[in-house]
Amino acid sequence: MGVNELLQVTNLSSSFQTEDGLVRAVRDVSFHISHGESLGIVGESGCGKSVTCLSVMRLMEQNGRIEADSMRFEGRDLLSLRERQMQKIRGNEMAMIFQEPMTSFNPVFTIGFQLQEAIRLHQGLNKKAARNASIDMLKQVGIPRPEKINDEYPHALSGGMRQRAMIAMAISCRPKLIFADEPTTALDVTIQAQILELMQKLQQEIHTAVVFISHDLGVIAEMSERVMVMYAGRIVEIAGRRNLFKDPKHPYTIGLIRSKPDMEIESPVLTPIPGTVPNPLHTPPGCPYHPRCEHVMDICRSTLPELISHEQMHQVRCWLYDQQGAVHGS
Amino acid sequence: MEADVMFQLKNIQKFFPIRTGLFSRVTAHVRAVDKVSLTIRRGETMGLVGESGCGKSTLGRTMLHLLSPTSGESLYKNRDVFSLSTQELRKLRRELQFIFQDPYSSLNPRLNVSEIVGEALSVHGLAHGRERDERVKEILSVCGLAPQHAKRYPHEFSGGQRQRIGIARTLVLNPEFVVADEPIASLDVSIQAQIVNLMEEHKDQFGLTYLFISHDLSMVKYISDHVAVMYLGKIAELSSTAALYKDPQHPYTIALMSAIPSIDVDAQKKRIVLQGDVPSPSHPPSGCYFHPRCPYTMERCRIEEPKLRDIGGGHLAACHLVQQGGGRL
Repeated sequence: MGVNELLQVTNLSSSFQTEDGLVRAVRDVSFHISHGESLGIVGESGCGKSVTCLSVMRLMEQNGRIEADSMRFEGRDLLSLRERQMQKIRGNEMAMIFQEPMTSFNPVFTIGFQLQEAIRLHQGLNKKAARNASIDMLKQVGIPRPEKINDEYPHALSGGMRQRAMIAMAISCRPKLIFADEPTTALDVTIQAQILELMQKLQQEIHTAVVFISHDLGVIAEMSERVMVMYAGRIVEIAGRRNLFKDPKHPYTIGLIRSKPDMEIESPVLTPIPGTVPNPLHTPPGCPYHPRCEHVMDICRSTLPELISHEQMHQVRCWLYDQQGAVHGS
Repeated sequence: MEADVMFQLKNIQKFFPIRTGLFSRVTAHVRAVDKVSLTIRRGETMGLVGESGCGKSTLGRTMLHLLSPTSGESLYKNRDVFSLSTQELRKLRRELQFIFQDPYSSLNPRLNVSEIVGEALSVHGLAHGRERDERVKEILSVCGLAPQHAKRYPHEFSGGQRQRIGIARTLVLNPEFVVADEPIASLDVSIQAQIVNLMEEHKDQFGLTYLFISHDLSMVKYISDHVAVMYLGKIAELSSTAALYKDPQHPYTIALMSAIPSIDVDAQKKRIVLQGDVPSPSHPPSGCYFHPRCPYTMERCRIEEPKLRDIGGGHLAACHLVQQGGGRL
């Protein structure tokens, strides 16, 4: 584990017991994030990107089950912490920004009340100091008339403003790590641009590490230094931003890039990925992507490939690449 | 009217009343669509883009008389859709179809696929019994669904497949014109391209004309021949797709395009971040509706509303700054 390592997750698996059977939402996921770094997690619905973050924060629902070889946050083992100790870390050292701020704020309390609650709980400030801190936070995230908005209820704010307030809450205790789960998905593009700009600015100012979750490759490309692609609960590729978008290796990553038109890159035809995302109750054997893959080989149908290093910092889980990263058959 | 014009919209307005107080008096109006004129030619795809609340969906619904208009004309093959009787309109519905955004709520959960798709044929008295089943089977295969899917219910399908069912229900009537309202917005990225490509195939195969409503400028660029950009119920810019994306004129269009994140990590693009939110359509700003957010606002913009005018080659923009032949003052 490096000196600068903030979070190190090794072989995390999360599952849910449902009426229809066991859903293995996250399987053998290992990753790390350094202080101040930004890591993007990209994938489609049900790929396990949100559950990965909820697992690290130990926010899984009652019927969820987390297993991992280790989950270390600044040297502390998150798995062995008592719930009480975990509560101290949550909100204070780790925070989360959700997709829909309307459902993550309590509608019957004012924005200020909810911000102050977090500030008082974690920083031990008195009422007056907490109110001032809360107004300061709102100002910092670019909310106009912060004194007035502080006393407003969540419904009175627009989507973009609510998301700013959510960010204010997340950064109010200067956490070391923020999980941002699709923070701009519910917003219009011009508002998304505002929020992305704000998050970049704040990340530099308070030097927080950010795990940015999105289904939108463009957003990930702008917000992350390293990118992790997930499919059916597993990591299929991890690489630096430049490598991932300029030289993608996994057929799924390549397929995702090819199926979406881009404003900057001319694409005369769109090549969709055939088929659909697998049902988490019945993940295909072998490589979970094999039924949709254009390069499928016999081995893909029976055996799951390992996540192997292709180059330094570029890992891929695909039978097309052997240990040296050479393409089979070429 | 030219022969190849399919739809001509003239000054369409759609206001929704805001009622307040004990007697539900109308105190204000949401000006959802405000004097929109648009021409859609046979065989083309007209893209309609804008942010939420800009009136794009309302326009799509109003032009087909799914919502009753406040004023204006919607000429379909020279007949005003707004002045038709209920019976005439019902007959016309076969030719004018709609694809909805949410394939979860737009399909009846208690009908199986064959009934959902076949219902349309029965309603219009086009086919019954065995003939109906044959037509349904045929159209399902055109939409990439297998014959065994016909007896299943909507909940058994994924989002992408449900959208295929929605499209099949539309196509079985052999329509001329289809309004597709955010048909891919609720689908996964890998599935979006499947549906868009399917729509493209159908366009050629069935000789369709589309109005493609979307907030996704990159997808609109890919599928459309012409694009109209809407802001607060009005058209800000209208042009051929190539000209619009190569040389956008309206400051709103420019900002909107620059706001879209790209995966091109080397692109040196300058992002224009617009300040503030979209104003409420019940209390639109004076003059140019865009002026409170526009980086180039002048005194004139606060007072005088700019007209949508041709700046050359059929490229229309509603901005005081835009000059004849393109380029800004």
